[in-house]
Amino acid sequence: MELIWYAVFAVLLAGYFALEGFDLGVGLLLPVLGRTGEDRDRMVAAVAPFVLANEVWLVAVAGTLVGAYPLLEGEVLFGLYPLVVGMLLAWVVRDAGLWFRRRIDGPVWRRFWDLMITAGSLGLSFGWGVALYAAATGFASSPLHPLGLLLGVVVTLLFAFHGWTFLAWRAPGFAGATRPGRALLGTGLLAALPAIAVLAGGMGHLLDHSAPTATLSVLSLMVLPFAPIMLGAQVWTWRTFRPGKAANRIPSFF
Amino acid sequence: MDVLDLARLQFAATGSLHFLFVVLTLGLAPLVAIMHTRWAWSGRPLHERMTRFWGQLYVINYALGIVTGLVMEFQFGLSWSGLTDYAGDVFGAPLAMETLVAFFLESTFLGLWIFGWGKLPKWAHLACIWLVTATAYASAFFIMVANSFLQNPAGAVLSGGRLELTDFGALLTNKALIFSFPHVLGAGLFTGAMVLVGASAYQLRRRTVEVEFFTRSLRMGVLAASIGIFLTLSFGYMQFVGVPEGKFDGDTAAIPLSIMMEGGNLLALVVLFFMLPLIAVLPRWRWTHPILIALTPVPFAMAIVGWLARELGRQPWMIWEKLTVADALSPGLTAGMVTASLVGFVAVLGMLAIVDYVLIARLIKRGPDDLDLGAAAEQRAPALSS
Repeated sequence: MELIWYAVFAVLLAGYFALEGFDLGVGLLLPVLGRTGEDRDRMVAAVAPFVLANEVWLVAVAGTLVGAYPLLEGEVLFGLYPLVVGMLLAWVVRDAGLWFRRRIDGPVWRRFWDLMITAGSLGLSFGWGVALYAAATGFASSPLHPLGLLLGVVVTLLFAFHGWTFLAWRAPGFAGATRPGRALLGTGLLAALPAIAVLAGGMGHLLDHSAPTATLSVLSLMVLPFAPIMLGAQVWTWRTFRPGKAANRIPSFF
Repeated sequence: MDVLDLARLQFAATGSLHFLFVVLTLGLAPLVAIMHTRWAWSGRPLHERMTRFWGQLYVINYALGIVTGLVMEFQFGLSWSGLTDYAGDVFGAPLAMETLVAFFLESTFLGLWIFGWGKLPKWAHLACIWLVTATAYASAFFIMVANSFLQNPAGAVLSGGRLELTDFGALLTNKALIFSFPHVLGAGLFTGAMVLVGASAYQLRRRTVEVEFFTRSLRMGVLAASIGIFLTLSFGYMQFVGVPEGKFDGDTAAIPLSIMMEGGNLLALVVLFFMLPLIAVLPRWRWTHPILIALTPVPFAMAIVGWLARELGRQPWMIWEKLTVADALSPGLTAGMVTASLVGFVAVLGMLAIVDYVLIARLIKRGPDDLDLGAAAEQRAPALSS
């Protein structure tokens, strides 16, 4: 039972990195590849249909943390207090940028929210590197440890590369290249690698701090029957919005 | 203020902000789903435009529901780790259900609904908005399960200094839950319906050219508001069966409670004995429109006051007669930490909330022309026919 929930937790966290990684990556690349407003519109349009289905993996990670590892939830979130607050604000600002950027016409309005998307994506990507390093050291290290900061840079670069590959897959030719789905899968794995490493290292600690069997049984009974539906909804999203001529057609809602 | 007051203030401020948007989401979701169903059924452009206009209002509002919800989810671990340390094995389960299943599906289906316009087959697209509604209701259900456990800790026993889950069924049939959940859904429906009424009245008052559009919207709003306020009141009063003695004895909880009840009764009188009987003529009687517009924010205020009564009434308990709020605070939390995050969250979320309401007001003012929702499909249609 503990192993099942460890697997659920690991799949969700690694999945978040592989999926939301390219959303954040495209956000990071907005000022780099999106010199004109229309280019930025096309970049956002390419990721737009996936964002809601991707970011929710982290919501599920937090849900699993509180449900299956209630004792660790406080330890992790409280141990990283300033970082978690900062990352939450970055997430909020990134989302607001996506939802708001097209709600009013006008270059200044849209440029401001595009900037918020990039700033939020940067804060989250960098924050994840720092957070993973802190988790790997049992929250004993300073949040400003050079290795943590270095990992922040690495995760940011990985996400940017993953985002670039995503654009080359979904909007062929836009970023000057075309990549097949296999390449996207590859960079997804690459983006998830830091998370997978920390998950593997922390396996024993997680298993030791699992909720009691009664709680895990209830969770299994309530959650696992829905797993095929959740997977199906995700697959449906990917089938509906796979690359095509109009993959980055504007206007998109975001 | 000490660290406890600050942490409580942070929870109250972000929680109230969250619910302002959630209560409208809960009400508009089924109304938009009904509009979409009529569009799918009849194929009439009027129904399509109603779906797109009210749907766009719904999703603009949804944006703030999401971002405030993220802050709520993580706040338990940030400020209240004493709660999960003591009762996480019980309290965590419904929260996990909400995020892991209900919200996960809701967000995925909402993405399909918004961006699948013109891409998905007609009935599959319609199914998405109904799935969004169902999972939004499921989300509300599990949040109410978690909250009701705090009000009345059923289904758990104390073992080794921590609460242990013994009966999940008791969690789902909690007497603090069975009437409060439909009460919340009723209040949501009422709030969403009153937004339909107020926005339509505004347009009709300004002699809009979209007479049929806003006449139908207003009538639908009045009908839904009548059902909503009836459910809210009935299940509101039924809740007193399960309220522990002394919960509303102090002034801090008794005042919001009486404001909500008096306000709710008054609203019910207005809706059931004025708006509903006059449903046929209200769209034409322009003198009533300022009243209808003025009523729009009232359900939001009532909803917040209702939560204040429920939550303040539980003081000083985090979990009724088991764990105090002071003991639930994260050990080691300092006033400086909470102040910094409080300022950050309230400033950012408060500003975004204002922007969001300006965007909603702008949409209502501009009416159903030039909408963003479904615009991609609009451009595709002429290309296909040529």
